[in-house]
Amino acid sequence: MMEPLAASPPPDGSSAAAVVGLRSTRPAQLENALDPTVFDETFLRQLERLKLLLRQPVRGGLKGGRRSVKRGRSVEFADYREYTLGDDLRQLDWNVYARLERLFVKLFVEEEDVTISILVDASASMASGRPEKLLFAKRAAAALGTIGLASEDRVVVSALSGRAARRHVALRGSGRVLRLLAELSAIGPADGPTDLLAAVRHAGAQLRGRGLVILISDLLDPSADRVIRDLAATGSELVIIHVLSPEELDPLLEGDLRLVDAETGAGVDVTVDLSTLDDYRTRLATWRDGFAALAVKRRASYVPVGSDLPIADLVFAELRRRQVAG
Amino acid sequence: MPLIAPLALAGLAFIPLVVAFYLLKLRRDEHVVPSTLLWQRLVADVEANAPWQRLRRSLLLLLQLLLVAILAVLAARPFVERPAGLARDIVLVIDTSASMGATDVFPNRLEAAKQAALDALRDLPSGGSVSVIAAGSTARVIANGTTDLGRIRQAVGNLVVEPAAGDLADALRLAGGLASRVADAEIVVATDAALARPPDVRVDAPVKVLRVGRGRRNQAIVALAVRTAPSSVTRSIFVSIANLDLESADRRLEVWGDGRLLEARDVKLDPQSRSDVGIDDLPRDVGVVEVRLVGGGTGAPTAGADGTAAPDDLAVDDRAWAVVPPDRLRKVLLVGAGDPYLSTALSYLPDTEVYGVAPEAYGPATHPELFDLIVFEGTLPAELPRTAILAVDPPSSSPLGEVVGSLKEPTIGTLDPEEPVLHFVDLATTHIAAARKLVLPAWARTIVPGPGGAPLLYAGQRAGLRTAVLAFAPRQSDLPLQVAFPLLISNLAGELMGGSGAPPTAIAPATPVELAIPAGATGLRVTAPDGSTTDLAPATPGAATITFSGTGTLGVYEVRPTGGRASSSPSADGSPAADGSPAGTAIPLSSPAAASPGASVAASASAPPVDPNAPIRFAVDLFSVEESTIAPGSAAAIVATGSGARPATDPGASASPATSTSPGASVGPATGAGPIAPRAPARDELWGPLLLAVLGLLLVEWAVYERDGFVRIRRAIGARLPRRRAA
Repeated sequence: MMEPLAASPPPDGSSAAAVVGLRSTRPAQLENALDPTVFDETFLRQLERLKLLLRQPVRGGLKGGRRSVKRGRSVEFADYREYTLGDDLRQLDWNVYARLERLFVKLFVEEEDVTISILVDASASMASGRPEKLLFAKRAAAALGTIGLASEDRVVVSALSGRAARRHVALRGSGRVLRLLAELSAIGPADGPTDLLAAVRHAGAQLRGRGLVILISDLLDPSADRVIRDLAATGSELVIIHVLSPEELDPLLEGDLRLVDAETGAGVDVTVDLSTLDDYRTRLATWRDGFAALAVKRRASYVPVGSDLPIADLVFAELRRRQVAG
Repeated sequence: MPLIAPLALAGLAFIPLVVAFYLLKLRRDEHVVPSTLLWQRLVADVEANAPWQRLRRSLLLLLQLLLVAILAVLAARPFVERPAGLARDIVLVIDTSASMGATDVFPNRLEAAKQAALDALRDLPSGGSVSVIAAGSTARVIANGTTDLGRIRQAVGNLVVEPAAGDLADALRLAGGLASRVADAEIVVATDAALARPPDVRVDAPVKVLRVGRGRRNQAIVALAVRTAPSSVTRSIFVSIANLDLESADRRLEVWGDGRLLEARDVKLDPQSRSDVGIDDLPRDVGVVEVRLVGGGTGAPTAGADGTAAPDDLAVDDRAWAVVPPDRLRKVLLVGAGDPYLSTALSYLPDTEVYGVAPEAYGPATHPELFDLIVFEGTLPAELPRTAILAVDPPSSSPLGEVVGSLKEPTIGTLDPEEPVLHFVDLATTHIAAARKLVLPAWARTIVPGPGGAPLLYAGQRAGLRTAVLAFAPRQSDLPLQVAFPLLISNLAGELMGGSGAPPTAIAPATPVELAIPAGATGLRVTAPDGSTTDLAPATPGAATITFSGTGTLGVYEVRPTGGRASSSPSADGSPAADGSPAGTAIPLSSPAAASPGASVAASASAPPVDPNAPIRFAVDLFSVEESTIAPGSAAAIVATGSGARPATDPGASASPATSTSPGASVGPATGAGPIAPRAPARDELWGPLLLAVLGLLLVEWAVYERDGFVRIRRAIGARLPRRRAA
């Protein structure tokens, strides 16, 4: 079912018309589009009805659809304030003046956009698994980005590889979905080892203001704990989508093996038998529980998933259940 | 623990080798994983839990080290010692006679005897040697003084029952000879002790008997003969059946001729008795007669009628074979004036050619030795031929009888109704005009008595030659005009030419047979009853006979000449002439009407001439009441043949007459050995428990190696059970 993100569209291009609900069909521009079986029109409509939830209003930039900490010109009443010189007389509440003979200005909640930063771990370890973890990460990023664009938020995609984060241009508006997909399709796995902590710090330095940070990674890094701490320390709300392949969740290994690290090339000699596998699973559960506990502590959302999880289940089940989307 | 081969403990040197293999770096398959992060932590955990984890992972190593150690000890052959129950040198005599094939013990007595013998050898002291003698019809040494018990087991295991009468005395004699070579020897006899008489032998060694068998239920065919009637026209079968059981038995007797069932007869056999059964009118075309004793059980005569079930314990004596002697032309020479009655009566004899010669022409040139019977009519030569003779009206005294005068119209005396020559012959109306008065010789018996003790017809064996004398010429009586005359002549011819002679004697199993080589043949091919063939060649060129000794199987053997065309019958007794026709002056008589000996009278040769290339057949039958008597006898008679040379320490001591209680006693002058050395203890090697330990270790090692599989199966079952309960 899962096809590579950069898969070519069908030769006749017929189904490409359904992709992201474009009015005009230009197959030449859809070469890097997502697999239409995953992102068909119905699915996109469903995505557009979703919204990424924030626990607290944050200060945004442009006028948007989210409540801001600022008072503004929305229709939602927020508070009263005594009139001072320079205030807009249109905002005076004459009913209050009639009762109290004092001038009060009605304050309304400002609605602004929010920057949604999607950090996609593009380390070499993400290129493994069946389905590939990086492919899953890019699809999840596409789905979440689509939700963000539909909510008139700014969506910024950063690919973490090596020691840096390659930040793409911020996108805004649902019309930039194709651009988002194209940028995600261009993300490939790193050749060498990746220092996730350094890359995340680099990405953190690129954040402007507080918003929503979504990290999609396998966290197979010795300093994954610090990665979470550093991202939580940026003030943005943090969502960690921890993706592992089925082979990592339930290894099909047996015998005397030398396990070679895909990133570093380092080897570990193990004798895999049933007890070893049991120990591995225990170790894995403890490892993930550690992340979950840390996320709770840092008021972040931790979503452990397998790369074989359908994107629809991720979005409509997992993220909703954890109140990341709604 | 004492070891037989302690050098084999050098195999323990493999232990460091196994450890070295474990210490050497294991060649592992490389497997690329996204990250070794979790695995590194896992390995760290495992190492942190040492040494238990290490021990657990080294369980296979420990098991393999243990396995190597046990195998090395096993190769060193550890043993425990115990007092030996047998002497240092054992002569094992195993009875393989026909009675050992009795099935009163499963599967038969021989197998039980073999097992008992091998069991007894467990008491053999270490280093003891064993000789094995098979006591069949002859005693055979099949293993001579070997210490290799495996070879002994193989030799004993190859023994089979011989369908022949056994000779235990011969075997004991041979065993005594083997035992006399050493000082500390003992003879162990495994037998059913079914002996007709105690073995007449003394051996200078203690004899121990392992007796097998317990039943005595057996009926046997102890005699079978095919008799030709004196007239040579009909044959009858004579069967003798013995019931050797203590209870009466109902059996069915089947007579088969050339594979065809000729007759079946139910016989009731009284205990410990013999029953004779005669069956007449055997068809003329039957060449081989087989008699089977089948069925059994009171009131169930048809049980086992198919011949497959043997209701007694010994089956080998329930079948017997007899070969019907082939018809052949008999040649009769009539010397005399040519009595037409006599020549006519002779010419009517079946399978007979009659030749005539005048008295003056008779002489050595006539080759009288080529004739089966010479009839002298009114004449006698000076020198009697060496063949059967019928003298009619002898003119003078001769070795055939003394003529003392003549009788006028002699009357015929009282006839013996049991006389075979007078079978169907009625002489009541016979009148004789004149006859010679003869004196009955000592070798003859009177057949037709005359007046005053003078015989009118007598017969007997004269110097081994069948001879009969008729005191009157037929034409001097009215006998030729009566029907009794051809009958009398036929009976006389049968008596004289061997028609009623003794049946061909059956050949006992494993008895050598002298086989004649026909002229022109270079050898013989003998086909045994089981279909196997043996080619025989004479030891020296031109030999007339070959001795064939491969008669170990019961049944009918067939002998054919090989290497050339036989020009005459291969029969050992031979034909009158090589070319089948008498030479000399004798002339075949062509017509019964022609009374003159010069004329020819037709030979009434109704039987075809004997095929010179026809095979000889002979039957091998057990016919041994002693072997068929399968009731186990007393072991004491066999034990008594030995001499107790040392105190018996074995469980069979009660059966052994231990006459000497001194360990240093000599076993007899025949040994010539010094004082007996103390008997070495018996050794029991511990390979059995060690082998079991090895097997157990292998099982444990396999279980350890496959423990993951067991756990998976257990989990799968555990996962399915709740589902089923829920369903």
